Amino acid sequence: MSTDASAAAVHAPEEGAHGEDENYLNHETGLWSWLTTRDHKRIGIMYCLSLAVVFFAAGMLAMAIRAELIAPGQTVMDADTYNQVFTMHGIMMVFLFLVPSIPAILGNFVLPLQIGAKDVAFPRLNLASWYVYMAGAIMTIVALVTGGVDTGWTFYTPYSSSTGGGILWMTAAIFVAGFASIFTGINFIVTIHKMRAPGMTWNRLPLFIWGLYATSIVQVLATPVIGITMLLLILEQSLGIGIFDPALGGDPILFQHFFWFYSHPAVYIMILPAFGILSELIATFSRQRIFGYRAIALSSVAISLLGFMVWGHHMFVSGQSAVSSIIFSLITYLIGIPSGIKVFNWVATMYKGSIWLQTPMLYALSFLFLFTIGGFTGIMVGVLAVDVHLHDTYYVVAHFHYVMMGGSVMALLGGMHYWWPKMTGKMYNETLGKIAVALIFIGFNLTFFTQFILGAQGMPRRYYDYVEKYAPLHELSTYGSWVLGLGLFLVLGYAIHSLYWGKKAPANPWAAATLEWTNVAALPDPHNFLRTPLVTRGPYDFHLADEVFGGGDGVGDGRAATAGTLEAPKPAPSAPEPQESH
Amino acid sequence: MATDTATAPATTETDHDHPAHLEHHFVSTEQQFDSAKLGMWLFLITEILLFAGMFVAYAVYRQWHPEAFLEASVTLDQFLGTVNTIVLLTSSLTVALSIHYIQKDEQSKSFWSLIATLALAGVFLVIKYFEYTAKFEHGIYPGALFDPHGAKYEPLANIPYVAQFFSIYFVMTGIHGVHVVVGMGIIAWIASRVYRGHFGSDYFTHVELTGLYWHLVDIIWIFLYPMLYLV
Amino acid sequence: MSQGHHIIPQRVLLGVFGSLIVLTGVTYGLAQINLGVLEVPVALAIASTKAVLVVMYFMALKYDNPVNTLTFAVGVIFVGIFITFTLFDTAFRGDIGNVSEQTVREIQREEEELQRRQEALTPEQLRVAPADFENAEPDPEAGTGADADRGGSSGGS
Repeated sequence: MSTDASAAAVHAPEEGAHGEDENYLNHETGLWSWLTTRDHKRIGIMYCLSLAVVFFAAGMLAMAIRAELIAPGQTVMDADTYNQVFTMHGIMMVFLFLVPSIPAILGNFVLPLQIGAKDVAFPRLNLASWYVYMAGAIMTIVALVTGGVDTGWTFYTPYSSSTGGGILWMTAAIFVAGFASIFTGINFIVTIHKMRAPGMTWNRLPLFIWGLYATSIVQVLATPVIGITMLLLILEQSLGIGIFDPALGGDPILFQHFFWFYSHPAVYIMILPAFGILSELIATFSRQRIFGYRAIALSSVAISLLGFMVWGHHMFVSGQSAVSSIIFSLITYLIGIPSGIKVFNWVATMYKGSIWLQTPMLYALSFLFLFTIGGFTGIMVGVLAVDVHLHDTYYVVAHFHYVMMGGSVMALLGGMHYWWPKMTGKMYNETLGKIAVALIFIGFNLTFFTQFILGAQGMPRRYYDYVEKYAPLHELSTYGSWVLGLGLFLVLGYAIHSLYWGKKAPANPWAAATLEWTNVAALPDPHNFLRTPLVTRGPYDFHLADEVFGGGDGVGDGRAATAGTLEAPKPAPSAPEPQESH
Repeated sequence: MATDTATAPATTETDHDHPAHLEHHFVSTEQQFDSAKLGMWLFLITEILLFAGMFVAYAVYRQWHPEAFLEASVTLDQFLGTVNTIVLLTSSLTVALSIHYIQKDEQSKSFWSLIATLALAGVFLVIKYFEYTAKFEHGIYPGALFDPHGAKYEPLANIPYVAQFFSIYFVMTGIHGVHVVVGMGIIAWIASRVYRGHFGSDYFTHVELTGLYWHLVDIIWIFLYPMLYLV
Repeated sequence: MSQGHHIIPQRVLLGVFGSLIVLTGVTYGLAQINLGVLEVPVALAIASTKAVLVVMYFMALKYDNPVNTLTFAVGVIFVGIFITFTLFDTAFRGDIGNVSEQTVREIQREEEELQRRQEALTPEQLRVAPADFENAEPDPEAGTGADADRGGSSGGS
């Protein structure tokens, strides 16, 4: 490649010096090349595989829980097993799946591509993060083998500090896995601050990056606290230091403060990157500049900071002081404001847009619907008096599943579909994709909407058995879980199918305007960009990116894109060669 | 620059006349240095938040049981605590000096400053060891084994929640001690690299980051000292 | 962009070190005399001053990129949030109405006593609202039972 060919080279990045064949997947092969890679894209793929296994295992545990609850009394397992099953479902889903999920898979893969960097700032730390995560996962398995855990995922003392079994291993596993999260957070913040391509100002960052930035702040600030909490819990179990155990003069509510100082912000670790994905999907599939860019970007940061001051709303009935309950309740209402800002802005973005109902967009719409329900019910349980009735019922279970699964997992699925062509170079089957969305959406609502009603009627969470009057709704909820499971298996099925038999993906199948689509080959080069791009416009400036989005003549409705007539936005030009100024 | 690029594809790692220590994904050593430093500061605030948990425990129990904390803290050796404070402050000075010297390309002075830091850290741990064993001899253990007897510790047996003070004391100083040990390991490694001439005025990132870590360990102690020994 | 490469003069470092030693002496000396309620604030103020000196000069934040200062400040602020919001609970623990000196037995006895008094009331005494009188007119027998229930529930709450 010669210097004067730079302009031509970026127009067809796949025709680089290495020819069309070299990409990040095949430039070196073998298991060892993966285990020692420092390529953020490969680490993203490795996280993807690991998390898929965890999600599968934890999902199977969820199916087991629902199977047990299909009828009152014992159906498929005894009560002690049930306690372990719901505990492991919670721990694995929260600490080993949802917390790392979007940042570790999609964040790792997409972040450097979207800001025009060759890699994250600390590639070795990135790889270390994966190994630390795996160590945590293995310790979880050890905890299972050495007797299991039945404390619930919250580890409330004094039960957790006095029970035996695998609790020591489990707390240690969470301590260790926390470091994976911290490493990712540090890496992302530094990468976003220091590694942006020329012209990529803070106001031109794609909103997914803003979401990841806010997430990383929370990861860095909150995760150490779960570390010290687990450490103190381990010392409580082994030495009896008497900080949390009332029998030794400790205070069990203090443990809840420690635990929720991390675990409430952790909720935002799960949902903030989901917000980011949603902004990408809605802007791209509406062919519209995002409405209220700054409002969306800054509301993410606002949520991440405000999210640290609401943890006490998990403890309204724990016996904490009324003063703190009132303060925590008030700030909980405030969180509704930035969340509402986002939802309104997304809806406004779609208004008069050319909405293209591809699978990722369907996930985005599902998210809007489900997250709104999850958010509103969150405000309800944030009301002091109402919470006295709803606390520890299925209402709360339904609420956080609407936010975590209806929000976070829906966005993850949407994002995986959206970036699947970039990650694998293959297109998935669109028809099956749409069927899967429908199954997941219907199954999800069947499973969890019924639980709102159950909870409002007084069904307590974590119970093994229940009275006859709850039976019909429980049964319906279990049927819903089967539909939901079917939908997820369908996704797994066509995803694997597409790897082998999928259509080859073009470099920019969605005609999106962010750098990973405009300036990167269909399967990215090991070093991402052949030329560092020079960013001259915002991430959703479709009209600036390309004038060919014919106004109102139907070209922009998306069907044209698949037929190959909709021209993708032009790539950004190359940045001038950096001068070593020293 | 432009001619360099023409002879080699932009994707190889050796296309520019970059210094050896510049990693391929950075544009300049400036960027690499700034990134490493910001990363270190982020790591330091995770350390601060880690200790925050124990500061919270201290604040809560002190507010609940001020008498117990008063009675218990006077049994700590104020003199040794003060000596240790001065030892750590001095080690902070020496590590700051080592950065000062490496920036002026005085590798030898920088090396000896690091060795001095290492020695002072060792003195700190030895004093800490004597403090701990003096406690253990009289049954002052963290947690359930707490059984004060002998000398000035006898009256503690009758005061409730004294055990909480010592639990917090041991956990705080213990985790701080672990950080000192880790820091010594890092300083030893960096000192050996300084000795072998890996660093100079153009590249001293590792020395500077080690210094930042060591100063943080010092800052934690600056707070532990009055909280545990004095008030 | 070269803030990170500022070389701090040796005499500044030594001066800061001297101040730190002096402050350590001051806080040690003050600990020997009784300052009453001021003891903790004074000790923490001196410790904070020392920490600021270390951060600004030894750690060179004074000469560094502002983003590093911001990072550090955010960390310290969140430690403050953690402590403050936890103390909102622990400092006011037990302010909630249902925490009482009485034992459960005593509360039960009191409630039973109230219940007894309630039941001792005649239907006439329970009539307060106009509706009570209207219902009572056509069928006094049925009205009595309903009124008694209503009175019972309002008395119990």
